[in-house]
Amino acid sequence: MTAVNANRGGGFLQRRRGLVPLLLLAPGVLWLAFFYVYPAFQMFLSSFWTGSLEKGFTFSLGNWTTYPDAIVRYQEQFVRSILYAGAATILTFLIAYPLAWTIAFKGGRWKNLLIFLVIAPFFTSFLLRTVSWKIILGDSGIVLGPLKDVGLLPEEFRVLATPIAVVSGITYNFLPFMTLPIYVSLEKMDFRLIEAARDLYAGPWRRPGAIIGAIVGGGLLAVLAGIFEWSIVPVAAFGAVAGAVIGALLISEAFVRVTFPLSLPGVFAGSLLVLIPAIGDYVNAELLGTTNTRMIGNVIQSRYLVNTDYPTAAALSFVMMAAILVAVLIYARALGTENLTASRGL
Amino acid sequence: MPDQIDRSIEITRRRFLAGSAMAGFAAFLAACGTGGTGSSAPTEPPATEAGPTATPAPPTEKPSPAAELNFANWPLYMDTDDNDPTKHKTLDDFTAEYGTKVNYSEVINDNDQFFGTIKAPLEAGQDSGWDLIVLTDWMASRLVRLQWLEKFDLGNVPNYVANLEDSFKAPDWDKTNEYHAPWQAGMTGLGFDSKVTGDLTSLNEFWNPKWKGRLTYLTEMRDTVGFALNKLGFKRTDFTMDQFDQAIAELQKAVDEKLVRAFTGNEYAESMVAGDVVVAMAWSGDILQKQADKDTLRFQIPDEGGALWYDNMLIPKGAQHKYTAELMIDFVYRPDKAAQIEAWINYICPVKGAKEELIKIDADLGNSPLIFPTADMYAKVTGFRAMTEEEEAHANDAFSTLIGS
Repeated sequence: MTAVNANRGGGFLQRRRGLVPLLLLAPGVLWLAFFYVYPAFQMFLSSFWTGSLEKGFTFSLGNWTTYPDAIVRYQEQFVRSILYAGAATILTFLIAYPLAWTIAFKGGRWKNLLIFLVIAPFFTSFLLRTVSWKIILGDSGIVLGPLKDVGLLPEEFRVLATPIAVVSGITYNFLPFMTLPIYVSLEKMDFRLIEAARDLYAGPWRRPGAIIGAIVGGGLLAVLAGIFEWSIVPVAAFGAVAGAVIGALLISEAFVRVTFPLSLPGVFAGSLLVLIPAIGDYVNAELLGTTNTRMIGNVIQSRYLVNTDYPTAAALSFVMMAAILVAVLIYARALGTENLTASRGL
Repeated sequence: MPDQIDRSIEITRRRFLAGSAMAGFAAFLAACGTGGTGSSAPTEPPATEAGPTATPAPPTEKPSPAAELNFANWPLYMDTDDNDPTKHKTLDDFTAEYGTKVNYSEVINDNDQFFGTIKAPLEAGQDSGWDLIVLTDWMASRLVRLQWLEKFDLGNVPNYVANLEDSFKAPDWDKTNEYHAPWQAGMTGLGFDSKVTGDLTSLNEFWNPKWKGRLTYLTEMRDTVGFALNKLGFKRTDFTMDQFDQAIAELQKAVDEKLVRAFTGNEYAESMVAGDVVVAMAWSGDILQKQADKDTLRFQIPDEGGALWYDNMLIPKGAQHKYTAELMIDFVYRPDKAAQIEAWINYICPVKGAKEELIKIDADLGNSPLIFPTADMYAKVTGFRAMTEEEEAHANDAFSTLIGS
């Protein structure tokens, strides 16, 4: 009897196979509905409030003007958030790619340990990691102190409370989010593809490598110089020269034609994982920055908690979400969404 | 510094970042709760029980202590056993005397954040779940303004009535001292590294180009603007909003000239120890603690005046155990209990008679002017006047713009 019942049970799910995905999706969908969609909707409503905490808020569609007002008033912080997050994304990419490549292809039996070391900082709280940067970057700390002692830097030089400190902090805090996806995409790559490419004369690529390196290095440093308000020409020139040398030494045709394209899904995923939370980050700007490095996250938290100006805070949050969505869509269109599924060509 | 106090964990009160992620979430939930009904018109004045005003005679019907008391406070704000962080001798003494179990929670990291968590129930006229909470004066004045607090039955708190230090009596937002009982206080003044700066006494140092890039201001609006008001010759206790705006402009100058390294919470103290900051708008308690790490740090109340702020025990409207909360307030206003707490937390004690008791425990601490300020020091520090809702909104807005967000 029991066996028959069991069969019947199996039969039910077999007959209603269409229900299985729905059942599997249900927990996630409910979670999103309760903790994302509903609060987001409430927040959207609250962006149309007017009033104050003590007198109460009233809803009116006529309050749409909160949106343009907020954008105009905080445009500086919006632009700064995007620039800082963009710069941090580029920097994490520059640091993470060679790191992931080395671990994936040269890590050997140390691979797991090295990956563990990449994640290890996450065992400490985000806040403490950021505060520790204050100690490292201190005006007479372990980095700047010795340089000042030997006269390489002027006494009043500082990194803390500048855009460099904020971008460095974000870069550091989000580095594993870039490293891991790139590592995964490189690690599963079939090394025989690279060997095959070499057999087919895709060897060292000095001149094109140098050109690619010069363009990429010069371009990146020009962007960073713009953000940090350095003089662009010498910095970009330095980046171009450094990029050319590195490119000539390291870039092979096999890398450009095989390795890099196959790692693009990792680069794509890593960039999103860094860029999106970095735009909304406010801890780094708060702890490492100063008044003119405040980001949109700082504005939102201060509007919510200090000024109890819920409508503006809600409007700013929505503008930020919309801006990120548009940016991601453009990015996805440019790089191709199929990169996310990572199955192409393998 | 005596070594009985474990300072390995930095005191993070007044610093919003500590719980900011949760804070954002809490405020967000709170915001949702408002639901656009606009129904927060103040209700009628708090209903009073036995004796409404100063009638130190016990109420006719003596209630009995409840089985439990829900007490919310800031971290490191209660004497704690060195070996067991969950044991607080003062609270155990209270339990022994009244049989009440104290559910003591160190959940308040920030005034604004905690306000977000109690706002929804209090606005709806419900019990917030707390019988006793501790919030800073300006937030306490907001709660008084909103009529979200229970009025003390002064007959139940004779020690409080008798032992409250005079300097803390009758702020303009609670002239009869019936809604708040100061828990601890602190002073805001001039913090400096005497090795680098020499002795400083004037608040003009906050605008001195000599400290360019090595000077910090506080994110606490009232503290920072207060110094600018004093600099311009205005009073913290009595200023017009026009004077307030002039003070903001005075601060803006220092920001524009890049004199100010940053606006900070407690972090400035760590930066002073590291040597990155040499002059700061500082809280007395921080400097007292950090002198253990760097003995050249000094705290000075500027000649032109400094700030006195205090955190207050408050009973939220609709509290389940109001009488027991009053017993607790009265209990910690006994000089020996106040000294027992003070010996561990080292802030400014608002209880008369505690000094003598503390000297018995630890003479150095008992005689420290940073715990029991002299009359001369009290004369130089003042609170910040209460503001109306419109004034507060304007002030917060102007200050947010000043600090870049």
